[in-house]
Amino acid sequence: MAVDWTTSIVQAAAFGGAGLCIGFGAIGAAVGEGYTAGLANEGLAQRPEHSGGIVRTMLVGQAIAESAGIFALVIAVLLIFSDVQGLGLISAFTFLGAGLSMGLAAIGSGVGSGLSSAAAAAGIARQPAAQNQLTTNMLIGSAVCQTPAIFGMVVAFMLMFVDFSQAPLSPTWAAVLGAGLSTGLAAIGPGIGNGFPAGEAAAGIARQPETYGDATRTMLIGQTVSQSTAIYGFLISLILLFSSFPETANPAKIAALLGASLAMGFGAIGPGVGEGVAAGYAVRWVCRNPERVALLTRTMLVGQAVSESTGIYSLIVALLLVMVV
Amino acid sequence: MEEFLHAPKWIFTLFGHQVVLNADTIIHTWVVMGLLILFAVVSTRKLAFLPGRFQTIAELIVVAFETLVHDALDGRNRKYFPLILVLFLFLVLSNWMGIVPGLGEPTRDLNTPLSLAIMGFFIAHYAGIQTKGFKGYLSQYVEPMFFMAPLNVISEIAKVVSISFRLYGNIMGGAIIIAVVSDLVFSLLLPPFLNAFFGLFVGTVQAFVFTMLTLVYISVQTK
Repeated sequence: MAVDWTTSIVQAAAFGGAGLCIGFGAIGAAVGEGYTAGLANEGLAQRPEHSGGIVRTMLVGQAIAESAGIFALVIAVLLIFSDVQGLGLISAFTFLGAGLSMGLAAIGSGVGSGLSSAAAAAGIARQPAAQNQLTTNMLIGSAVCQTPAIFGMVVAFMLMFVDFSQAPLSPTWAAVLGAGLSTGLAAIGPGIGNGFPAGEAAAGIARQPETYGDATRTMLIGQTVSQSTAIYGFLISLILLFSSFPETANPAKIAALLGASLAMGFGAIGPGVGEGVAAGYAVRWVCRNPERVALLTRTMLVGQAVSESTGIYSLIVALLLVMVV
Repeated sequence: MEEFLHAPKWIFTLFGHQVVLNADTIIHTWVVMGLLILFAVVSTRKLAFLPGRFQTIAELIVVAFETLVHDALDGRNRKYFPLILVLFLFLVLSNWMGIVPGLGEPTRDLNTPLSLAIMGFFIAHYAGIQTKGFKGYLSQYVEPMFFMAPLNVISEIAKVVSISFRLYGNIMGGAIIIAVVSDLVFSLLLPPFLNAFFGLFVGTVQAFVFTMLTLVYISVQTK
């Protein structure tokens, strides 16, 4: 029996992509959940009489941190059971790209959600009366942490189900692989960074429950602004996916497309974490000094804009590489 | 999965240019607008000192957003309050549309968030020119040093990109995960919870985030 090499390679890529997807995707969620359980245990040791609330918050928080891992599981299952008969060689690269996109994107969000739910579990031990505010804040904060993972999933889904068989193989393989890498790598930093303001908000509400409104609003603004670089990664992926590149065997064009995705992907990690730290400190001091919320928010936005500037350099370089070279 | 990739389109020619309209987006946007108008009519039809059911809901929403806008703009510029309130109501209803079988979120189409973001961009910058004068408005671009000007311009444009893609990506991602998981579990047990989380909860949070960021951009420009 003759071996159909193309089909075998595509099948191998689907399996490899599934492995990368759930392999990377499991890292963040597990770290985040472990941290949550750790702080919940600390709280239990101090206030055993409130074990019900602490354990419930821990479990809900872990479930949200887990959802990044579950997105990765869904994409991995879809990859394993996708029908490879009759697919061209380009599908090998789209499957690998899909796995990388979802897997890498889940790392940051899992850790970030874990920071949020850990602080909420510890906060209930400190201030059991504020349980409702803490739970709501944790739900909002860790749901926003999932945004980078959701971007990874959207790109993975597009890579798997958009038809690239008409596109020329030679530069398109670099474009689809790059699309996966760009969103995946870019999501790591903002995912982790989003956890800092969410954690500080939960800790602050536990200290002063009446700052709930200000803390949640500042947290939301800080989190969403620190997601910007993940969104630039998502933008570069969409450009790579949906522009049609003329057929070329020129290695320079291939290197330019891969380089654009790496530039944006790696360039987004630092600003994501840095802006998250800026937002975290702003939220901490909003909780301690709520009268200064306007000044603190403004200073946070300026600081975030400056630490985002390196991410914007990456965006410019990536756009130049895709459009000009 | 088909509905995400090949949305129905109306294509026609106008003055020699081909015009493509996304049929679903337009229909669903009109449904949202109709619902909002209906709510406004019902809640203000019989205004009374002791409010009725709809009037109570409307008063709660209006008062909450009035305080929010008042705090964010330090009590100045009350004229932006209707814009912010309607922006939130439109987005939240749009994001909730997906939980109704057969309907889809207008925000799942990038055109909707992008046009709202561009609208917010022009309003914020017009407000900046109004408050600080044209010279004062321009001088903020040469902060902290004159050679930072190109970077400042790009980061203003990047705000439009980030605010619109954030909403689009979240709503699209939620819709995809609901469709894929429903397909995998044969629509048993899980879909209602997923709809509650991604449709109602994430939809509300993201609508609030979009509205808050538009408000913050206006407040930064008018400070």
